[in-house]
Amino acid sequence: MPDGELLERFVQGDQTAFESLFRQFEADVYRWILRIVRERSAADDVLVEAFWRAYRGRARFDVSRSFGAWIRRIASNAALDHLRRARQHAGWRVADDRMPSAPAPDQAVKESIARAFRSLPPRLQIVAMLALVEEQPYAEIADALDLPVGTIKSRVFRATRLLRKELARLGVTP
Amino acid sequence: MITDDQLSQLLKTALPAVEEDRPTLDLWPAVVRRGEARIEMSFADWSLAALVVIVLLMFPEWFWFLAYHL
Repeated sequence: MPDGELLERFVQGDQTAFESLFRQFEADVYRWILRIVRERSAADDVLVEAFWRAYRGRARFDVSRSFGAWIRRIASNAALDHLRRARQHAGWRVADDRMPSAPAPDQAVKESIARAFRSLPPRLQIVAMLALVEEQPYAEIADALDLPVGTIKSRVFRATRLLRKELARLGVTP
Repeated sequence: MITDDQLSQLLKTALPAVEEDRPTLDLWPAVVRRGEARIEMSFADWSLAALVVIVLLMFPEWFWFLAYHL
């Protein structure tokens, strides 16, 4: 836990204090981002963006609150922006990225599932990823996205409904 | 009908796994560079905006000329 004096200095724009906070929270925030974006190079970019946004918005930080929760919220928003951009371009690779000349049946199914997941709106992708894949508690997801738990539950419900529909359309069965 | 557990399992097998890890590079210099890049951009934008305002205050009849070129 950073001390109050360090947080005060950060709010006032002290770069040494900012670096100290970066070193303290970097690994935790990186792991959180990686769970959402699933790609190391993207996670690096999102981490840099998140800490830069935190520094830019430091005046809005309340030093009596948790820095860890605040930076995680910023990182979640930066990751969401990344998902929006990725959706417009390529998206994720699937779990097994070997490139056979003709996809094996398992690989084709994985690709279909990944395609169905990418077809979700990014705000549903992020909650589905955290809730269904990473099995994070709803309260933790709600805190990270700065949304009520009820909204998270409803987004998970909508995401699962859309995924079922899309997987059925693609002919994927368990 | 795919159950929630089956759906979760399908997604876990299809999406790339992540290992609990930390960045392989020191990303602090990139954070610093990011801040410097934004400040430079912002300064350039403000300078251009200030210049346009000054020119328009001095020569209001140039509005359409600037509107065409900017």
